[in-house]
Amino acid sequence: MTFRSKFFVNFMIALLLSVGLVTAGVTVVTRHAFEELDREHTDALVAQFQREFDRRGHDVLNRVQGIADGEPTVRMAIDLSRPNADISVYVNDAKGVAQSHQLDFLDFVGTDGSIISSAEWSARFGYKMEWVTQKEDWATRGSFLTKLDTQEGPALALMAVATVRVGDKDLFVVGGERLGKEFLASLVLPSNMRALLYLNLDPKFEPANLIDSTGPVNEAERFEPIIERERTQPSEQTAKIDWTIDAASAETFHVIPQLGRQKELLGVLLIGNSQRNVVTLERHILWLAIGVAAIGLFFGLLLSWWAAARVTRPVQKLAAGAREVADGNWNTRVIVRGRDEVGQLAQSFNQMTQQLVDQRERLIQAERVAAWREVARRLAHELKNPLFPLQTTVENLQKASSQNPEQFEEVFRESTGILLSEIENLKAIVGRFSDFAKMPQPELATVDLNEVVRNVEKLFEAQFSAVGRPPITPELHLAEGLPKIQADATLLRRAVENLILNAMDAMPAGGVLMLRTSDGDGDVHLEVSDTGTGLTPEETERIFTPYYTTKQHGTGLGLAIVQAIVADHGGRISVESESGVGTAFHVELPTRPPHHQAAPVVIEEEEKEEA
Amino acid sequence: MKLRLLLCLAVISVALAAVAAPLRPARRPRYGGTLRVEIGAIVRSLDPSVAAANPEEADAKDELDALLYDRRGESGTFVGAAGSGPFRLSAWEAGKSAVFAANEDYRAGRPFVDSVEIQMGRSTHDRLLDLELNKADFARIPAELARQAADRGVRVSASQPDELLALVFLAGRTATENARVREAIARCIDRVAIVNFILQKEGEPAGGLLPQWSSGTAFLFPTETDARAAKEIWSQISPSPKLVLGYDSADTLQQSVAERIVVNAKEAGISLVSRAMPNSSAASAHTGSEAPRSDTIHVDARLIRLRMPSPTARISLAAFVDTLGPMAGIEADPLPENASPEDIYNWERGIINSGRVAPLVWLPQVYGLSARVRDWKQPAAGESWPLAYVWLDSTTETH
Repeated sequence: MTFRSKFFVNFMIALLLSVGLVTAGVTVVTRHAFEELDREHTDALVAQFQREFDRRGHDVLNRVQGIADGEPTVRMAIDLSRPNADISVYVNDAKGVAQSHQLDFLDFVGTDGSIISSAEWSARFGYKMEWVTQKEDWATRGSFLTKLDTQEGPALALMAVATVRVGDKDLFVVGGERLGKEFLASLVLPSNMRALLYLNLDPKFEPANLIDSTGPVNEAERFEPIIERERTQPSEQTAKIDWTIDAASAETFHVIPQLGRQKELLGVLLIGNSQRNVVTLERHILWLAIGVAAIGLFFGLLLSWWAAARVTRPVQKLAAGAREVADGNWNTRVIVRGRDEVGQLAQSFNQMTQQLVDQRERLIQAERVAAWREVARRLAHELKNPLFPLQTTVENLQKASSQNPEQFEEVFRESTGILLSEIENLKAIVGRFSDFAKMPQPELATVDLNEVVRNVEKLFEAQFSAVGRPPITPELHLAEGLPKIQADATLLRRAVENLILNAMDAMPAGGVLMLRTSDGDGDVHLEVSDTGTGLTPEETERIFTPYYTTKQHGTGLGLAIVQAIVADHGGRISVESESGVGTAFHVELPTRPPHHQAAPVVIEEEEKEEA
Repeated sequence: MKLRLLLCLAVISVALAAVAAPLRPARRPRYGGTLRVEIGAIVRSLDPSVAAANPEEADAKDELDALLYDRRGESGTFVGAAGSGPFRLSAWEAGKSAVFAANEDYRAGRPFVDSVEIQMGRSTHDRLLDLELNKADFARIPAELARQAADRGVRVSASQPDELLALVFLAGRTATENARVREAIARCIDRVAIVNFILQKEGEPAGGLLPQWSSGTAFLFPTETDARAAKEIWSQISPSPKLVLGYDSADTLQQSVAERIVVNAKEAGISLVSRAMPNSSAASAHTGSEAPRSDTIHVDARLIRLRMPSPTARISLAAFVDTLGPMAGIEADPLPENASPEDIYNWERGIINSGRVAPLVWLPQVYGLSARVRDWKQPAAGESWPLAYVWLDSTTETH
């Protein structure tokens, strides 16, 4: 993984964590706020419902009192107060009065508790409604919940009682509203709320007794634990029902017990508040947060990519520059803007490479001076030998001309021969130097190194066992399947010849010459080793310097030519030697020589490169 | 002395005048006028060969045909030509109205009124209202509304009680096969309360199948309620069945009585519910009508109206048994024509003792009359309206 990738990943992880924490925080805070808001909303609605309930109670009380205060009722009371009053006249009165006063229940009850007329159950005339006659101040009692018997069975009602007293006789007006689906439907509730009523009319939980404004509630059995809890200990509570696994289906119920006059549990009111809106809103916010986070992450991705690129680009350039330097291209420059640590590092890098180049230049210059000195020395040495005979010969000619004219002819003839011979010698010396100077560029072709080695070895076989010199035993260790290389066969052949000649010169007492080829990674190796006298470390260091030789009659150009050929093929040559043991030359040749020129490399800003 | 004698003579003359006033002969009947009659039924045809859709229509059709035909045959159907009766049909709009003109050639003499105008399909409420407002001269009123109608100023005429409202335990019902079940229910019913409150005292509690005025033995059949005994009997029945009491959905009186019986039963601990029976108007019947369609809905018992076809106890009783027999599974030998009152009583007693029928109340036929209607005589059981004999007092203002 690159530095940029690591930097990018770390940046992204940090960004992701930050965004995740912010999103989670926003979600939690929002949910808490919504729950709080929802609770307050529910409390307000429950309070509103309670007020509405109380208002309905007052309304019932007023209507019942209105009936009691009405002229027909007063006349009825007066009539019934008479001895032997005929109560049958009034048996059907309650129904009409109840309808006109919009009451579900209305009973006219005599002073003994007998029902004179009943609106909801007209056939009950004559039977007793004894609880009405119990001692209670109905005027101050207000409305109350009670359980009534009807034709359809027991029912829950919000009732009120008013009394009309004539003499010592009372006429009770008992009226009220049924607490049923109509009552629930008349309540004004927000759209996400509903009111349920459990009519506690049976000794056990009866699902059919749980109603809403449309009738029996679906899945009423889900409410059984709540209702049973109320039946055991009536108190206000809050319960939540998850209708499905979807959280939006949940409904919170505020449970309010409805008690009768004797504090008995008659009903359980459940104000349901659907969580759908809250959950939907929370989900909206969550999705919004996720969307913002995603957008933030996307832009963060771009930003982090850009930042990573911006931060790592100088480092990458430095790394590239270092690689160039490692590849030998010391003349590498890294252009990094900025004065930060990376900029200073780049500046130091450039200074370092500049110093390397300068040192190399100075080294080359020094080597060049040394080489020229060596050349001059060699030239002086080479030229001095022919020049002395030339000088002597010319002096002999001058002497003969002045002192022995008769012999001048003979001396002249002999001297000119010497002069021509020495001049030829001089020409040969000059030609060798000229040849070295005119080293041709390799003409590449597919070459089998093993074959080159084998051919050259054959050329030297006669010399290895020449008469008059100690024998040299050649040993060929040529690798099979050695890849062919792109090279100039003639130059290679010359290099191998020079190496063999050099080895033969190193073994005046005979020995073993080993030629070994091997396959490297993308190149081929040639090792030429002898069992000669070996080299000193100093000789080893200077062995490839042109005109440097350890031999009496050597020109010092053989190994220099070998090095030049190897270098022109993009290869490398090295030597290892041990005095008295032998010397080994290692040649590494690439299968395909590179075509690069050692030009200065400038690594600039990407923007510029891209531009 | 003279003064005393004079005063005495004066007092006697005033007293005689006061006493003699009602005994003065009625004003002489006048001819003319249109008698406006309103009926609740819808009569589609007066052709005797066309069957009525329901007993209510059959009753009304019978009354209208009685205006057109002179007399009935032995089977009860009219004989002779249409128009041989006191009136002739002058206008007919099927199901809505009819006008009958006085038959000048009627063998018993021309009716006093020139015509009788019939309005059909008038509800009880409309009939009462029209009577109250003098927009109608004659209409039938449910017995339970007679008191209310009278209180509203309507002239009311009630007959002898000739219609029996009874509770019939239907044959073939497992729940009521137990005689103790039937007894418990029959004993818990408060007949007096039904008469006093529901019928507003326009009727009589019934213990037997015939009214006292007809049989003379009705007092021998007890009508008292005994809720305690009913409760005790019911407590001895195990398992106690749940019973359904049916009533005619179109009959408000039946509904009220059924609901009251349910209350009575409930107080006695008896499990009984009431249920309206659709199309059961067929049961409101009249003797000889077809059996009620109680098979359309399951009921164990039902209320039924039985109207006497004749003032004669034997005939009415026989007709009742003809109706009740297949319904309640009552089997009885036919009464001989020369049956004595004792035979009739024993026959009646046998039916009552079977517990298949519980007579509840006797109902009169109640009619509302406008103030200008004169010489109205209540028809006896089985008789038609005597409209040919009434006349209209033109001095009485009408609207």
